[in-house]
Amino acid sequence: MSTIAKRVPINARKKLQSLMREYFVSLDAAAADSDRRVAWCTSVGPCEILSAMGYEVYFPENHGALLGARKISHECIPAAVGVGYCAESCSYMTSDIGAALSGISPLTEAFGIAGPPKPDLLSYSTNQCREVQDWWNFFGRRHDAPVMGIRPPSHLGQVTDAHVAFVRGELNQLITRIESHSGTKLDWSRLETVVDLSSRASSLWRQVLDLAQAQPSPITFFDGLIHMAPVILMRGSQEAIDYYDMLLAEMNERVEEGTAAVPNERFRVYWDGMPVWPKVRELSEKFFDLGVSIAASTYCNSWAFEEYDGGDPLEWMARTSTEIFINRDETFKQQFLLDMCKRFSIDGLIFHNARTCPNNTNSRFGMAQRLRDEAGMPVLVFDGDLSDSRFFSTAQTMTNIEAFVEQLEGCCQ
Amino acid sequence: MSGALFIGVDVGSSATKCVILDQAGALKGHHVVASGFKYSDAVDTAITQSLLDAKGRKEDIAYCVSTGYGRKHVSCSDRVVTEISTHARGARAWNPAVRTIIDIGGQDTKIICIDDHGQLLDYRMNAKCAAGTGTFLESIAVKLGMTLAALDKLAMQSTDPTVVNSYCTVFAGTEVIERIKAGQAPEDIAMGLFRSIATRIKEMIPGRSGAFGATGGVVQHCQAMILTLEETLGGEILKAPMPQHAGAYGAALLALESHAKKGSEVDHAPTG
Repeated sequence: MSTIAKRVPINARKKLQSLMREYFVSLDAAAADSDRRVAWCTSVGPCEILSAMGYEVYFPENHGALLGARKISHECIPAAVGVGYCAESCSYMTSDIGAALSGISPLTEAFGIAGPPKPDLLSYSTNQCREVQDWWNFFGRRHDAPVMGIRPPSHLGQVTDAHVAFVRGELNQLITRIESHSGTKLDWSRLETVVDLSSRASSLWRQVLDLAQAQPSPITFFDGLIHMAPVILMRGSQEAIDYYDMLLAEMNERVEEGTAAVPNERFRVYWDGMPVWPKVRELSEKFFDLGVSIAASTYCNSWAFEEYDGGDPLEWMARTSTEIFINRDETFKQQFLLDMCKRFSIDGLIFHNARTCPNNTNSRFGMAQRLRDEAGMPVLVFDGDLSDSRFFSTAQTMTNIEAFVEQLEGCCQ
Repeated sequence: MSGALFIGVDVGSSATKCVILDQAGALKGHHVVASGFKYSDAVDTAITQSLLDAKGRKEDIAYCVSTGYGRKHVSCSDRVVTEISTHARGARAWNPAVRTIIDIGGQDTKIICIDDHGQLLDYRMNAKCAAGTGTFLESIAVKLGMTLAALDKLAMQSTDPTVVNSYCTVFAGTEVIERIKAGQAPEDIAMGLFRSIATRIKEMIPGRSGAFGATGGVVQHCQAMILTLEETLGGEILKAPMPQHAGAYGAALLALESHAKKGSEVDHAPTG
């Protein structure tokens, strides 16, 4: 007998909506005010330095995700391809560049602002991919603003003190360049404060995600995609900490009451790779209907850093931004996934093979097969993309997912 | 006709197939029809014609399992199962030695691996494009002004198959034209097309263990496909008895089992 399950909404979402509006409206006002300064930054970039130096920080990757989630990427990408950006390179980048060239922004409808704020400078770290520097360079040329990046060593097994020292040096040079450009000296005690705030928000976010170890899980990957916004966009602010305090309390309550994100949770699955932003709703509903809880993911954990315990704030920034999953080698990643599957009592693993995001796709060098053999659980690899829906086939993916659940039924029930 | 009938309906992107079994699992009727624009019409025709074949009536249907891309368009379905599971179930019945099933359908090609107990171990589907599917062959046959059957007949005369490189159906078509212009033998070009599908399939097979079985419309209609698969994969390919109906057959077997399970659940239902 089938039971019609109802989704229990997460109350914190109302607060999140107002936080997001305040954040974007403030950025828009800052861009129009000659006394305020805006910096663009990559999502795991040196945003704490920028905040400490008085910049209001905007994250273009969020715009790329919004263009995908609002299903308008495909309208934007051709304009970027037309000026020479390959259609198979990062679709966050091509949709964002195309949106700028076409004068399109989802921020207009969502928050009533014209679009992304004009930058005074752009800062990046290639710890996640090399594409960001060319993406940032496009906008640097467009807005006649300086682009300043750091290039940490990548694909690391162990992160050594030498690696951290090198990245710390790069961050130091970045500070010098920003000071020279802005004419403002960094207040190191302010940086310590911002790093502390950033670390506390990140720590709370990790605690929220860790509560998904409960069975049934109170939160899924799809909820995480919504609620991770402050840890990216507002990292280093008290508002982000307050938000995650509230969300954590609500999640704790859910665990105590046994409130499930997927009421008839039959299976617990891990998601590796990027979200499919244009299809998030359809995929969320599909898994919900099948009684599958995506209890853990690599993506949502990308902003769950180690805690800052005082000391050198630059060293903390260097270490945490170098240690992130995406910057590690296959051996580290495989062990990380195995540990996560164990911690979250996972029944099966899904790899999203994102066509335009090779750096955040982990199924291209045999890892899916190795994990299937080592963990002894069903593994599904499906083709799609983070933002370009032209690389996603709904019918094939849904069949793949249903067959995956049939496989779980065969081996887990 | 008396007694219960068990139906499997496989609504594919190109064709809709129906198989009817009796309580003993014996084949009583089957039919295949083009899926066309309206799945529900194709389903009605496939079921009606299969019932005629089985000398049965709609009232005799005890349980129906639907599968295939249009699996949710079968109004009389009691259970919906993906074609991956139905092919796995079907193969187990038609040849228990089969461990890897190669299903070449109109829209996609699937590789389905099962263990000694018929349990699904792994499966792969080709990426979105048509390369490696029945549609790829049909499309090029149309371009050459011939039927799929004629293309197959031509390919079987090949002695030195051409290599077709392109992953894209349109570009593969262009490549064929280039080969013709270069004076290569038509039969070798035709076999090259089948071989290009076999090469795509080889890329999808995770590793060899146990016998290969082949199903799907292309396998049913094209001898060249089996031949080139055997050459490319280096071993015998067991052809399903009714390759195009393999998914529907597996679905009918699942209908029989689901019905029996339903009955036993009722028998053992707690009272009071």
